[in-house]
Amino acid sequence: MKITALLVFKCAPVSTEPVILANASDVSHFGFFQRSSVKEFVVFVGRTVASRTPPSQRQSVQHEEYKVHAYNRNGLCAVGFMDDHYPVRSAFSLLNQVLDEYQKSFGETWRSAKEEDPTPTWPYLVEALNKFQDPAEADKLLKIQRELDETKIILHKTIDSVLERGEKLDSLVEKSSDLSTASQMFYKQAKKTNSCCTIL
Amino acid sequence: MRQGPCSEEDCFGLLKQFEHVLESDPLIDEVGFIHPSQFTLLDKEAGFSNVYLQPHDGTSSKFWNQDHKLGISTDILVQLCKDAKHLFLLALDEYKCHGNACREPQIKSISSTPESEVMKHSQAVLLLSSDFGTAWNARKLILSKADKLFAFTDELRLSGLVLSNSPKSESTWSHRRWIIKMISRRFSTPQDIITKESELVESIGERSKMNYRAWYHRCWLVSYMEVEQVIQELNKSKRWAGLHLADNSCFHYRRRLMLKILDSLYVKGCNAYDKTQAHKIWKEELDWNKELVERYVGREALWLHRRFLSLNWIMYFTSNHSDVSPELGESIIMMSEEIAIFIDNEIHLLESSMTILDTKFEDYQAQVLHAVAYMLWLTKKMPELRRMLEEKLGTEKVKCLLSKIGEERPSLLHHLVNV
Repeated sequence: MKITALLVFKCAPVSTEPVILANASDVSHFGFFQRSSVKEFVVFVGRTVASRTPPSQRQSVQHEEYKVHAYNRNGLCAVGFMDDHYPVRSAFSLLNQVLDEYQKSFGETWRSAKEEDPTPTWPYLVEALNKFQDPAEADKLLKIQRELDETKIILHKTIDSVLERGEKLDSLVEKSSDLSTASQMFYKQAKKTNSCCTIL
Repeated sequence: MRQGPCSEEDCFGLLKQFEHVLESDPLIDEVGFIHPSQFTLLDKEAGFSNVYLQPHDGTSSKFWNQDHKLGISTDILVQLCKDAKHLFLLALDEYKCHGNACREPQIKSISSTPESEVMKHSQAVLLLSSDFGTAWNARKLILSKADKLFAFTDELRLSGLVLSNSPKSESTWSHRRWIIKMISRRFSTPQDIITKESELVESIGERSKMNYRAWYHRCWLVSYMEVEQVIQELNKSKRWAGLHLADNSCFHYRRRLMLKILDSLYVKGCNAYDKTQAHKIWKEELDWNKELVERYVGREALWLHRRFLSLNWIMYFTSNHSDVSPELGESIIMMSEEIAIFIDNEIHLLESSMTILDTKFEDYQAQVLHAVAYMLWLTKKMPELRRMLEEKLGTEKVKCLLSKIGEERPSLLHHLVNV
């Protein structure tokens, strides 16, 4: 079971580019030279998925061997990068908890956040990343949380199905300011060799 | 690309630098290809300025070496690989024609015999292009003349380094198997080498998903294990398996280990203690699998594992009035009270798995499908089970399950109908 990253985005007003509010990731299980690229891809993919998660919607996107889970609650969006083994229910339970804690700590101040603002480290998120590696902890939350509201979770088998018609991941990668030249090179290389050991 | 003639010094300068770095840091444990723009970032992260690395020939900024990690700039990869391959093939030719004798012994030093040149250049080329079979074979040729264990364990170190960048390279895994075979033939098979191999596969499996070749290698190791080591492996890898439930390879490995235990029971000299121990291990695995299946809903790998566990449990660990041994293929399983109780419990598991608690998550539907497929697959092996199912659940319900399977797993249904 692995959670590679947890992020919180501001997704309001709707159809603007999401602003990253908090980010915690664990890339220790990646090769030494890939780690910085992985972190960049987490932000890129996280932002891409968050921007296509309408308010009050939950969705899970299968990307390579990861499941990217996103929950947009009134413009505040939590995104988690989990592996295939991590139960989906536990993942959403955790995302719910992250949003609750965020609002407890920061209230509504996030509504005025801008991209240029430096992303402060939010210690809770780092702790959560560690604590909830064991999904049993997330399941404990289910018992004390109010029922996850009735919205169904939308499942996407690939990231392409989240994108708009005509949009291609390749061109988004090329245009993204989240990705350095090095990361773009890794992405292209992995596609060329058609290997399944890509970094996100 | 370089234009015009250059001296040998210039042309192979990069390669020499590469080989020098490798020689000067024998503890390098990871190699990677990096984009030129990453050098500054890596230096920053490592916490120092680049000042003392100012090159005098402008090539130092192509290799990054700190903390026993080696990064090679992608813009020199092609040239470096060509150079390494060229010099390697030259050296190999020299070695094959003249043996290991130096042509000019008074001039060349001991450190540059044809043999050492082949080893040096093949190491370089393999780190860049791990599937170059000629290079691996040249190393095998030279190593087969070695008489020290160290030569072989050092070869394990090199192939481990190659795997750090190319974890799915079949030639590299195959070379490791050759080394282990040589070690066990020439020396003995130290148990700790096998243990370390197994741990290596687990750590590579963590970083590199769906790595069939790594897991195949781990299964191959089992043939070198004594039963005590097999049991240790089973215990040690349990935690990892419990954290990687979607990974069928790791459960396949467990099945391989358990088969070895089963096989050992039919070897001459097996005693009652062995049988009791095997019985205990099997029961524990069954109970653990049940816990996981109930806890982590809808995991196909777990249900597939259960097929193996249940069938073998019935065949070898319950009294079933038929004389079975592993060589027999399709033996008839005769019902007994012990088996009936086991089946009863399995049917309970099926019934509880078919309860859909909510429709929000796909897991529960998958759980029903896998549970039903499991049960119906068992009926293929034990026709009597079908009758028991119909008794417990009713004929209508069983028909309904069959049609559900027919939609999702048509090939399974095909087998069932034709029985």
